[in-house]
Amino acid sequence: MPGNEQAAELFRQIVVPHLADALALARWLTGSLHDAEDVVQEASIRAFSAIGSYEGRGPRPWLLSIVRNTCFTWLAKNRPQEIVLVGSAAEMDGPELGLHEDPGPDPEAELIRKADAAAVEAAIAALPQPYREVLVLHDVNGLSYKEIAAMLSIPMGTVMSRLSRARRQIALQIGRAP
Amino acid sequence: MTALSPSDHLLLHALADQELDVATAMALEARVAAEPALAAEYARILALKARTKALGKPAVAPDFAARIAALGQDAEPKPAARRARIFSFDHPSWWALAASVVLTAFLAGGGTYWFTALPQGEASIEDAVADGHHRALLAASPIDVQSSDRHTVKPWLDQKLGLSPPTADLAAQGFPLVGGRVEVIAGNPLPVLVYRRRQHLISVVAKPLPNGSVETAPPVSKTVDGYNMVSWTGGGFHYWAVSDLDPAELANFVDDFRKQ
Repeated sequence: MPGNEQAAELFRQIVVPHLADALALARWLTGSLHDAEDVVQEASIRAFSAIGSYEGRGPRPWLLSIVRNTCFTWLAKNRPQEIVLVGSAAEMDGPELGLHEDPGPDPEAELIRKADAAAVEAAIAALPQPYREVLVLHDVNGLSYKEIAAMLSIPMGTVMSRLSRARRQIALQIGRAP
Repeated sequence: MTALSPSDHLLLHALADQELDVATAMALEARVAAEPALAAEYARILALKARTKALGKPAVAPDFAARIAALGQDAEPKPAARRARIFSFDHPSWWALAASVVLTAFLAGGGTYWFTALPQGEASIEDAVADGHHRALLAASPIDVQSSDRHTVKPWLDQKLGLSPPTADLAAQGFPLVGGRVEVIAGNPLPVLVYRRRQHLISVVAKPLPNGSVETAPPVSKTVDGYNMVSWTGGGFHYWAVSDLDPAELANFVDDFRKQ
């Protein structure tokens, strides 16, 4: 366990610079920016008391993994009805489900690029939680497949399939939108 | 449009995410260039990635950032060090703490004086009294004002809290006064008198009764968190005496205290 000064210094280096990332993840997992602040504050307290367990590798995966755990604790307490059962993620990771049932033509890249922010946000919010967290960790937080696989304790192949399905669902949702 | 194989899909995403090794990436790029279906899917993936990224991250409000940064600055894991710091009187945080506690209690009481606040559960107050005594023993100094002279201790408490309990002089009975401190119990700053018997310290916490109350209650002995405790009411205060002194001596102390 590092001394007080050292712990405070680590906290300043590891946690404080990555608050935007922490808020982004918490915002997408809780669905509200206001709740995200509560969760991130709680996560920061946990991060400070666990700062001795920080191993010197990427600070963001370390912090985000605490934020993610705090989100689930928070959701279990505040919105128990929205918790997605772990089993459903495993079922969704089946090889064929959904991906090739043709739900209509894919939208063109141009349409996706011009989609308005509200439509994209709605599409992300509509994703099942296991897809949503992988998408946010990768496309918003910028974590690598490997970092996400380690954080979620899932194989890299699962990260890849969840990410591709999440993106495809968003693309289809945007294409369907008027 | 040609249907792509599932592995093509995954590889295209990985290519867009720059997660492929050079050889695989080069081979796939060649296929993308040659096959329109792959090219269209690849373009969609890149567009979607860009669109999601453009949503950005929430702005960190300055007051929120400051609040989080403060977590690291204020935290001091060692309780003894923390207490010593809070209760050194020349430290500004003591004044800030005392002021905020008094102000909060005052506001919560809606203008009535703080000691008329809702009665707390007796057990939780006793726990807090025992905890306070325990912390004080661990702290660098168990007292905030060190004096065996009750004419020093009493005005000090008076100045800090605007009240002070009768400060008995029990040196002749073998319980010299050591000093006083302030304990915050259930949100109320309360005066604590500290006496000594050989190497044992006795903390006497005094909680004022509501104005005009002449309630009295005889001493009741018990054990709380491993400490012996005697509580009684009289003279406008409710008292708790807590110590690791043995129960008989503590009872004697309380008798002497009440006679003064």
